[in-house]
Amino acid sequence: MFPWSKGDSHRDDAYWDFFINTPPADLANTVSEMIRKAPEGNIFPAKTELHTPEITTSHVKGMAEYFGAALTGVAKLDSSDPSNPEGYPYAVVCAVPAEYDPRKSSGIGGQVPVQNGLFVTFVLSAWIRELGYRATAAPQPGDEKLAAQAKLGTLNSEGRLVTPQFGTKVYVANAIRTDLPLAADG
Amino acid sequence: MSKAEILQEPEIEHGGSEFPTPDLGRSVRIVGPHVNVDMNESPHPKNARGELGKPLFNWYRNTVSQDPLTRVSAPNHFADRRQFLTNVINRSTNGKVNPRRVFVDDPAAMTRHIKSVALYMGADVVGVAKSHPAYLYASGGGRYVQDGTAKDEYQNYTPEELARKFPYIIQAATAWDYNKLQAHRHHIGDAAYHVSQIKGVLVLKALEGYIKELGYTVIRGVVTPQAAGVAGGIGELGRNGLVINKNFGARVHMPDPIMTDLPLVADEPVDIGVEDFCKICRKCANTCPTNSIPFGDKVVHNGIEKYKINWLTCYKLRPYVHEHWGSCLTCAAVCPFTKPNVWWHTMTVSLLHACPYFARPSLVRFLKWIDDRYWGLVRSNRVRWLGYDSGVKPGEQACTVAGCNASHEGKGQAVVGDAGFYAPLKENTNRFVKREA
Repeated sequence: MFPWSKGDSHRDDAYWDFFINTPPADLANTVSEMIRKAPEGNIFPAKTELHTPEITTSHVKGMAEYFGAALTGVAKLDSSDPSNPEGYPYAVVCAVPAEYDPRKSSGIGGQVPVQNGLFVTFVLSAWIRELGYRATAAPQPGDEKLAAQAKLGTLNSEGRLVTPQFGTKVYVANAIRTDLPLAADG
Repeated sequence: MSKAEILQEPEIEHGGSEFPTPDLGRSVRIVGPHVNVDMNESPHPKNARGELGKPLFNWYRNTVSQDPLTRVSAPNHFADRRQFLTNVINRSTNGKVNPRRVFVDDPAAMTRHIKSVALYMGADVVGVAKSHPAYLYASGGGRYVQDGTAKDEYQNYTPEELARKFPYIIQAATAWDYNKLQAHRHHIGDAAYHVSQIKGVLVLKALEGYIKELGYTVIRGVVTPQAAGVAGGIGELGRNGLVINKNFGARVHMPDPIMTDLPLVADEPVDIGVEDFCKICRKCANTCPTNSIPFGDKVVHNGIEKYKINWLTCYKLRPYVHEHWGSCLTCAAVCPFTKPNVWWHTMTVSLLHACPYFARPSLVRFLKWIDDRYWGLVRSNRVRWLGYDSGVKPGEQACTVAGCNASHEGKGQAVVGDAGFYAPLKENTNRFVKREA
């Protein structure tokens, strides 16, 4: 209820540690796995009429926020970079709060930020494809760097994103690479 | 239905004393013999078989929405079903039950845990109901799992056998966004409804997977959601046929509940004054575009005493309006219980809950007077969200985004005023059902 009483709200819960830390025996029981395995859909044949790139960017960010992203930014990509063979000009980077670090907490509960991130990136990239533009949320390394480039925060010595809002308790979802005309934050 | 008929001794069925007639609170009562509903006779399956006529069939099966967000979030109006998350989740292979079962010595602690887990995953309301055969679909009628199948070894169990094997029903619900819901009968309202719907599907599937990881069995698609919601204390059943929650009013999804053998402690039905309010208010009945909500008293339908909406006329409106919106939601938007989840709303519902029954009609009249005065008889405010604008008349196009200097050929000029346009209006839809009085 109060910020100072938030502490360990699950102290009395004997099963909470199982929820956060015990890895699932069958990965098919996790929604994250279902979304990861799902193929991407088609690009809608008719392009939706857009506003200016600045307004389109604010709409993409508003949509991401509505789907549950806490922080959203747009990074400019280098189209000639060999790591970007499709030549996408922009990456939309979304981050969600993570009470427990998903890299260390492998239980279904510890992976909830991953699940929330996949929800945002799945629906947001599908929406951009329905607008008639290319968009892919396939996992690629270096999303935290893109998040820092999009000014969501800075990287610490371990290469992890640190944000003013959540500190390191933040999870960067798969960046959505797209050719939707946007205005990059960095 | 005469009083004598209503007060007849309820016929005890469903295994006699093993399953006594359940208490569903004041808003719904089981008063007579109840025949379990065959899932295949519910609206969507009927329509999928083409039994409701060509316009509805084509709307349901062959219509691609003009709105990009609707194409990724609404059932059946996608251009490519791979973009629709519910389809992805419900068509995935189901995981196996963990053979190393977590021992539950204190069902109350497990109930608290499961509720925290559901809320942690993004649910807004969670309730647990004790299973009763009357809440289930008829046996042999198949399951209702949207875009998926649920064939398993329990397929041919009778409702009694299922209720014995799986004694608890978990209902986790997500709430629609209040501000967007104000644009009922508009794509903005659809966004409130459909996005929280796909989120709700994800939360329930994740919870289902977690219960299997705890080592317990879960089945889906067997429970009628409204019954489980009322029995599990999610809310009371209103005149509009929706479960009304104390925090969110009618703006909660009541999706496919989870039936499980995980040892839990069931919640009780709640009393938040919906029964007293619906007797007097009738705002939903007054504003329903198809007159599908009754003005009169409760009736006994299939042994259950409740307000009976006309689902067919509610349903029949849809193909005629799909260019402007997908889900009507007017009855949910005008419901006086549907308010932002803030202190004054909590306080008012608590007041209604604490008020003795005899004084409630006066309190309800006062509260409805306030509601009519400040929120109006029907929502007609202009809502703008990310380029959507309910101030633009249906069928017209205009860019009303502030500061937009992109060239939009063939689009009108900016709209002035604060009125929202929500088509079709009531007079156009009297053809569906003539109002009684």
